[in-house]
Amino acid sequence: MTQYETAFLISPNLEEEETEKVITRMAEVISEKKGKMINEDRWGKRRLAYPIKKFEEAFYVFFHYEGDSEIPLELERRFKQTEEVLRYLTMKKTQKENVRRKKKTVPTEQERAVPPKEEVPETEVAETEALDKKGVEETQAVKKEEAVAAEEAEKNEEVTKKEEAAEEKEKVKEGETAEKKEDAQEDVVPPEEGKEK
Amino acid sequence: MAREQRSERGSYRRYFPPKRKFCRFCQRNLKEIDYKNVDILRKYILERGKISPRRITGTCAYHQRRLAAAIKRARILALLPFIEDSR
Repeated sequence: MTQYETAFLISPNLEEEETEKVITRMAEVISEKKGKMINEDRWGKRRLAYPIKKFEEAFYVFFHYEGDSEIPLELERRFKQTEEVLRYLTMKKTQKENVRRKKKTVPTEQERAVPPKEEVPETEVAETEALDKKGVEETQAVKKEEAVAAEEAEKNEEVTKKEEAAEEKEKVKEGETAEKKEDAQEDVVPPEEGKEK
Repeated sequence: MAREQRSERGSYRRYFPPKRKFCRFCQRNLKEIDYKNVDILRKYILERGKISPRRITGTCAYHQRRLAAAIKRARILALLPFIEDSR
């Protein structure tokens, strides 16, 4: 099962009911092929950056779903057939966990104070696989900016679970790591707020 | 630092030493860049609609690749212009 995100633009001169009809018709494809709709997003009418088929605006719809590769194929086939769809784009949503290590990020003062953070997930490689899947489902739902924070939160849970199961003697460490990760999370938040400037 | 040595050369650089640039995506600890986030992407295109080069924005190689891909996707969906006419 792969996660996909399909975006398409519907022509603006349709009535509301008609656009609704087009969207539901497309959404049916996913349920027919036993896919799972994770999120359906509608932006409504929005100005285009450049005219498409002489239209200056269009109705934006985003489907985020999970399923076999037949679904995007079928969707795109239908998009081509329906003239009301001006443009579409399908993307595979791949969640690569920690391809990039912390080292390369710009080290803030707080991060420097928390060097042993990486050691914990690396030691338990086998268990992280199962947990990664969990992470994928959940993080997809969360918005982009929040995704990083959420993953870290999950890791906290994972770490604590594992260590409880492993040995009681680890409990001291667990407390330390949990605290450190909380610190790290707080570090992440302030720059996010400041980015709008 | 290397930057300071270099600034000795030109007279312009001596009076206006370059500010230290850094990757704003690394700073925020983002791994992926979403093509739907037009407000952020807009900051990384020039007024003619071109993708800003790394030497201007200071974005790291990793994020510049993702950024370029995101901008190109956004262009397909007409969220961003391919070219902006200044007429």
